[in-house]
Amino acid sequence: MKNPTTNPSSSMIRTRFAVRFLHAMKKLNKKTPAPSPYRRRFHTIRAAACASMACAVGPRKAWSRAILKKIRARTLHHYLINKSRNQQMMMIKRGNPRDEELAVGFGYGEEDDLRGLVPGGEGMGFCRLLSETAHYIKCLRAQVQVMTNVLDHYSST
Amino acid sequence: MQPVSREFGAMNNINPLLNHHQISSSLQEIGQLPQMLMGSSHFDPPTSHDDFLEQILSSVPSASSFPWADDHAPPQMEEQPAAVLASKLRQHQISNGALKALMLQQQLLLSRGLAASPDDCLLPMPHGDQNDVVDGTSFKSANLVNDATVKALFNGNFTGSLSQTSNQPHEHFHHPQTQNLGTGVGGSAAPAANQPAASGSSGGAPRQKVRARRGQATDPHSIAERLRRERIAERMKSLQELVPNANKTDKASMLDEIIDYVKFLQLQVKVLSMSRLGGAAAVAPLVADMSSEGRSGNGTQTASTSNIKDGGMTVTEHQVAKLMEEDMGSAMQYLQGKGLCLMPISLATAISTATSHSRKPPAAANPLLNGEAGGPTSPSMSVLTVQSATIGGGEPSLKDAPSVSQP
Repeated sequence: MKNPTTNPSSSMIRTRFAVRFLHAMKKLNKKTPAPSPYRRRFHTIRAAACASMACAVGPRKAWSRAILKKIRARTLHHYLINKSRNQQMMMIKRGNPRDEELAVGFGYGEEDDLRGLVPGGEGMGFCRLLSETAHYIKCLRAQVQVMTNVLDHYSST
Repeated sequence: MQPVSREFGAMNNINPLLNHHQISSSLQEIGQLPQMLMGSSHFDPPTSHDDFLEQILSSVPSASSFPWADDHAPPQMEEQPAAVLASKLRQHQISNGALKALMLQQQLLLSRGLAASPDDCLLPMPHGDQNDVVDGTSFKSANLVNDATVKALFNGNFTGSLSQTSNQPHEHFHHPQTQNLGTGVGGSAAPAANQPAASGSSGGAPRQKVRARRGQATDPHSIAERLRRERIAERMKSLQELVPNANKTDKASMLDEIIDYVKFLQLQVKVLSMSRLGGAAAVAPLVADMSSEGRSGNGTQTASTSNIKDGGMTVTEHQVAKLMEEDMGSAMQYLQGKGLCLMPISLATAISTATSHSRKPPAAANPLLNGEAGGPTSPSMSVLTVQSATIGGGEPSLKDAPSVSQP
């Protein structure tokens, strides 16, 4: 498959993610066979994908840290609690107010959307948010490539 | 503070004059000195150097009777007994190592704030061997004489120039000027006045890294702001390279593109994780609000069939997903090559309902798949929707995520 980004860092991320993801999928398949409730399974798979991606990246980036934190604290009960707490915290620490001025001055009304999209993007400044977004995009692309490859491989056989 | 601003212009003009050693103008300068030294009420020389001035005055006794010249007034040299003062000054220049003399001259310039005309503000360099020393010392002494801002301006640069024993006095002037601008005015005592002068005199001087812009204080806050802006700009540029369709020059639209791309990638991950659940049928409850219970039952039923029948569809879908990740254009072309296209869900819904009303598909294999197997021979477009359409649950076979509908 043609890989548009073949720089070593992204390929490293890709391999790491692939390994973790395959392990996770194997475990998942062992635990719950295929025709179980699809929604739950879909969520689990997606969570597994995100978690393996975050683990592959490691705690170096803020967004991966946010994902890992969310997953580790994650029973349903804790998840609900943290959600409300996180929302409160998100409203409190909005990052540097000057960054918001900058964002508004630049004409960025949609900075909030980006914060909502990138995990852990609530509590950081705009400048940091941009770099996190860049890395996040790279990792998402790697994730999609790997998953597509795996899917092709397993569905064709 | 006008005097401070004017002196920069004065400094500019010193350089050619130093080389030319214009004695006549120097005499005029010297004539102005007593006016300078007198000091008037509408000057605001700091009281700190008043006593120093008195010292100077004592050495130039003839000057004591004359009032300070006005800030804006042109040098009123003609009123002074220039010859007397000139002789006195010469005496000092020669005898006292020119320290005080140059200080006087400096004071003249700095406190008067002479306009930037070459005739006015001349700091005559004593033509002698003492040029270098005189320069350094004069500048250094000037620090004592002038108020804080000017002192701050001169300090770093002139002491630096002191260390050099260059034989070109005009270079001292050049470098201090530029360094003045570079280091910025210490203390914000007269930032506004400094800025115009700085920008005026920086016209000839080489540009520095941190430029004092007009109307903008060079305090650390604005510098930090500027740095932040630059950092943001470079981050945006790197993002621009990552995201396809990066031909937007507008920052706001670029941010929109970035957001859309992130959403798109997340959606792709979603679709991929869904389709992993056993073929295309499992992607049906993609949209969370779908009533998945009924469909999941149907999904299981159709999963077995669709696994067989949808093999081609799955491959196509994955191929499309793969292509979409690389380039939307190629993905669309691939679809069109297969006789398929992408369309929004609502349209797909409408078409599907229309199709279902028009002809009841048999409960067996997906008629649409059969239709699609006919290939692009069908006159109208076949549709491949990535997301499942909410077709009222009468047709279980249509509930696959890659729902292909044929009008």
